[in-house]
Amino acid sequence: MRQILFFCLLSTSAFSQSGMPGVFSSARDVGSPALKGSAEFSEGQYRVTGAGANIWAKQDQFQFVWREMSGNFTVTATMRFLGQGAEHRKAGIMVRQSLDTDATYADVVIHGNGMPGLQWRSKPGEDTNAFDFPFDGPGTFTIKLVRTGVRIFMYMAKSGNQLKEIAHTEVSFQNPVLVGLAVCSHQADASDTVIFSDVSVEAEAPLKPKSP
Amino acid sequence: MRKLLFITLLAISAFAQAGKFGSFTNSDDVGASVLKGAADFDSSTGNYKVTGSGTDIWGKSDQFHYVWREMSGNFAVSAKAKFLTDGLTHRKAVIMLRKSLEPDSPFIHLAIHADGTPAVQFRNTKADNTNTVDFPVEGPGVWRLKLVRQNTTITVWIAKGNEPLRELGHTSTQLGSPVLVGLGVSSHSQAATNTVLFSDVSVEQLQTPAPTRR
Repeated sequence: MRQILFFCLLSTSAFSQSGMPGVFSSARDVGSPALKGSAEFSEGQYRVTGAGANIWAKQDQFQFVWREMSGNFTVTATMRFLGQGAEHRKAGIMVRQSLDTDATYADVVIHGNGMPGLQWRSKPGEDTNAFDFPFDGPGTFTIKLVRTGVRIFMYMAKSGNQLKEIAHTEVSFQNPVLVGLAVCSHQADASDTVIFSDVSVEAEAPLKPKSP
Repeated sequence: MRKLLFITLLAISAFAQAGKFGSFTNSDDVGASVLKGAADFDSSTGNYKVTGSGTDIWGKSDQFHYVWREMSGNFAVSAKAKFLTDGLTHRKAVIMLRKSLEPDSPFIHLAIHADGTPAVQFRNTKADNTNTVDFPVEGPGVWRLKLVRQNTTITVWIAKGNEPLRELGHTSTQLGSPVLVGLGVSSHSQAATNTVLFSDVSVEQLQTPAPTRR
């Protein structure tokens, strides 16, 4: 019985008074996309607009809404793309070592065409690794990322179905890490907007207050 | 010179089809485990009994037994795998693509662990760490595995028992051609060997489509 877990569930309205509202502390473009991104929090939903060539290969361009965390945690969000865009525009939940464009990361993403993917860059400046899962088209997806030690688990459900464990990979991060929502248009000259709702961040250890 | 090369290719091809190991040409221990592995091909049934030892196919270098042939271009490999001997939970049977027989060679494989955890694992560059995608545990059994390479895309399917094959998904590889394609077994321990029965083994060269798009 050593493993008593101290769960701290933050509601999306709990910290609405600080810089970036909701469970996250900040929003920023990573990798200087040609078009600026943005993030708004309103009525429990995040409206995240991102541009950028891709989150892929050796470096990334996207809009990131994040907070700092250490240890093990679970992040859940329901997401849908607004409007039209590139087939491989992508959005999802990311764990990232830093805001550097070539930083170590792992993410659970849904592409614009509905293809789910688990992606990771094991070391700064290395090529991205990816595994893409079978899919049947675009829609509204609930995704969940769980960090347990070096393991990054992916769960997913489409259109309100039961969340299902899909797979996990292993990525070594130093604590603290940046945890948040990512949106990339997969083209330099366009932005895409994604609505994230029902966003929750649960930590095994109590969360420290957000940095301002 | 061109004619000589052509004849050599023919000879390799003929050997591959009528080799000592059926669809494959060679059988080797990769990495130096304490216990030796072995491969036994029964030409009447087409079944392979592959016995392998070794700490793992993992980390920066590997220890396992490998039954392989050289291939280029696009291909499909499928096999049923059944663990014949007791052993560690994470002993594994794999369909592998490997650059060389060196223990730290780049590779990619579709693995089934003895507890029924399917996994796609790969080492991108020599002596690099192994990457993994582990799927939910489904319990021990007889598993059908299928791996297809088309250009740089690797797509994998699995099925437990008599279930229909289902696609797990796809990733990409820069292994190029030629590669060593085959079946591998690791006991996950230098102190043990494990034997896996591979049946319904198929190795099929696929037509090479247009050059890889980058």
